[in-house]
Amino acid sequence: MDPTSRPAVVIDYGTGYTKMGFAGNVEPCFILPTAVAVNESFLNQSRTSSSKANWQAQHSAGVMADLDFFIGEEALAKSRSSNTYSLSYPIKHGQVDNWDAMERYWQQCIFNYLRCDPEDHYFLLTESPLTAPESREYTGEIMFETFNVPGLYIAVNSVLALAAGYTTSKCEMTGVVVDVGDGAAHVVPVADGYVIGSSIKSIPIAGKDVTLFIQQLMRERGENVPPEDSFEVARKVKETHCYTCSDIVKEFNKHDKEPAKYIKHWRGIKPKTGAPYSCDIGYERFLGPEVFFNPEIYSSDFTTPLPAVIDKCIQSAPIDTRRALYKNIVLSGGSTMFKDFGRRLQRDLKKIVDTRVLTSEARLGGKIKVSILEFTHNKRCFQTYNISSIFIHVVTGTEFLNMFVVLGFQSQPVEVNVVSHPIQRFAVWFGGSVLASTPEFFAACHTKAEYEEYGASICRTNPVFKGMY
Amino acid sequence: MILLQSHSRFLLQTLLNRVQNLEKAVELDYHWVEFDDVRYHILVSMKNPNVLLLSVSLPIPPPEAVFIGGLPFGAIEALKAAYGVVVQILDPPRDGFNLTLKLNFGKLPLDEEHRHALLVKIASVREVVLGAPLRVVLKHLSSRTVIPGIDGLLALVHRSKESFFLVPQPDKVTVVFPMRFKDSIDIAFATSFLQEFVEARHTAGLNNAPPCLWSPNPPLELKEAPAEALSANAGFVSFVIFPRHVEGKKLDRTVWNLSTFHAYVSYHVKCSEGFMHTRMRRRVESMIQERRFFHNQINLVRVHSFAVHLVISYHVATC
Repeated sequence: MDPTSRPAVVIDYGTGYTKMGFAGNVEPCFILPTAVAVNESFLNQSRTSSSKANWQAQHSAGVMADLDFFIGEEALAKSRSSNTYSLSYPIKHGQVDNWDAMERYWQQCIFNYLRCDPEDHYFLLTESPLTAPESREYTGEIMFETFNVPGLYIAVNSVLALAAGYTTSKCEMTGVVVDVGDGAAHVVPVADGYVIGSSIKSIPIAGKDVTLFIQQLMRERGENVPPEDSFEVARKVKETHCYTCSDIVKEFNKHDKEPAKYIKHWRGIKPKTGAPYSCDIGYERFLGPEVFFNPEIYSSDFTTPLPAVIDKCIQSAPIDTRRALYKNIVLSGGSTMFKDFGRRLQRDLKKIVDTRVLTSEARLGGKIKVSILEFTHNKRCFQTYNISSIFIHVVTGTEFLNMFVVLGFQSQPVEVNVVSHPIQRFAVWFGGSVLASTPEFFAACHTKAEYEEYGASICRTNPVFKGMY
Repeated sequence: MILLQSHSRFLLQTLLNRVQNLEKAVELDYHWVEFDDVRYHILVSMKNPNVLLLSVSLPIPPPEAVFIGGLPFGAIEALKAAYGVVVQILDPPRDGFNLTLKLNFGKLPLDEEHRHALLVKIASVREVVLGAPLRVVLKHLSSRTVIPGIDGLLALVHRSKESFFLVPQPDKVTVVFPMRFKDSIDIAFATSFLQEFVEARHTAGLNNAPPCLWSPNPPLELKEAPAEALSANAGFVSFVIFPRHVEGKKLDRTVWNLSTFHAYVSYHVKCSEGFMHTRMRRRVESMIQERRFFHNQINLVRVHSFAVHLVISYHVATC
């Protein structure tokens, strides 16, 4: 049977969670933390014991220990309960950091979780738009050499997030993807399915920073959380109780007036002693997500709020795409799932755009009138010269451009629209699933035959960058 | 993970999820594929949240394997024995599938432990259906009889258009696997893996394990088998199963391990390849490190000699 007749395997590996499943479904089969717990005792073994006689001894000592590892929730549980396993996170800030761990992670994903034969399926993997070509080559090498996959497609996650909103009624492949994951946050403009590589902006604040900030707040307030568990507790608090507020000061007042309504409680069990404990969750409920809108409360190095970064990103994109980009701002990634995140983002961004329009109108308003006056004065010129040359006479350089922008604004205000999906958490995966179930997908893949002919360099370029890298 | 588990992880997860949130009606429509071309499909509708339709399609049987009504022999009886009233077998099955089961969550046992055990059993539907003929043969072995009507060779499907062979006798059953791999590297790995596997059987701790043999040519037991079923590129593995291997609870595990032997070998071949790559990567990294070190050393020497040169020329100039 031909592998193209089976559904492709779609794996979206993020810094925090990996989403995997088969193409054609609406939800991934598994969403696992991207963590590997490896038993590393065998690494330090001397090689002298490799004679055949003491096979049994070797076996118990752990020659098979290269199979002795766990991923996902099991890995977290194992590393907590025993000392022989060391936990590692193969992806850091959206980039694969430890290839050995990553290979193991894929191995378990395929054989233990999805339980499929990699030779039978095409694979769709994702990468961040800033991934180095070398890393793509590595991915291709592991997939083709170790797992013998018949075909591989490495997709850019922001394009997939756009594709997730793709429905038959509205086929919009132009937009800005605000992808805030656990370890990396990017603002990626996409025009007609092609990434505008030069305008990608990344933010050093992501989901993990929100967790760290919450952890810090709780620690400073002196909540009774065991230190070894505090990061996990902060993560759970972030995932279950956090929301975005419209105004910090008002929100503080609300909390102070009605603590019973707003303050939540957290109950847990201390991992070492097994004693139960409980703690309060207060301001961090809205202060956590506020990190994106007022970063100065968390770090002094980076103080540009997310809406300003998005605005800057769109302003740096080609002028003819800007309107379309403002119109379709798509959220993706787990850290955009806070309640009302999209609404707050839209409001703040709209404010920035409107202020700019007003100031440039105020600045240029007079000039335009003058130029129009001059224009009417020179009606005779109009007959002798063509229009554009007169315009260049009247207004020069950037003012010329700005005038058009202003004129445009006067006739039609800029539409700012932040789109949130109901499936934001795995929007990228869903986009992959949609893409991989189209018949064109199999033709777009790198195949095993191509790999054998040309080597890993076939994975170097990604067509969505239009040969930019 | 050294051995493959018998239950499908995703199926079990879905069933457990469903049982815990029965009062919440949801629409579920999943399909997925497991190794050796076993396809699953589950369907839950909003109208009837207590019922789950589970369809399974099996690998395409080769001509020598016996399939009755799209299922291996003994499968229907095995399903009925394993699941009882909870599961109803729909006839005909959904289009494109060999078997459709209708699960009624209302009829699950109330006892937590029993319920979980039954759900795990349902999640191992593959073992129940595909392993049914093997189970029948091994059941007879434990009572030291042979199924009436079967003499000589018995072919059972385990992968798409591939089968393995049983030679049932009253006191032992010989199981022969022709091993086939697609990739040339896989063939080399598998061949040496199987030789090691047979070697490992001879160590002291494994005296009670079934004797096993590997040979590059078809063993004598297969002389009646059709020629096209004997084209194996990684040799033939045979196990001899004695009644002591199928006593009581061991039966289930023996059935599962034998019916997924090929998947087991292929998993370990992939793991070995992964292990090789890990070591090769480590080697390359250490070589790069060494190269960098020497490069820096050479640069240091160069800088040093340049400095000496400067000093000398300065002295020469001032003299």
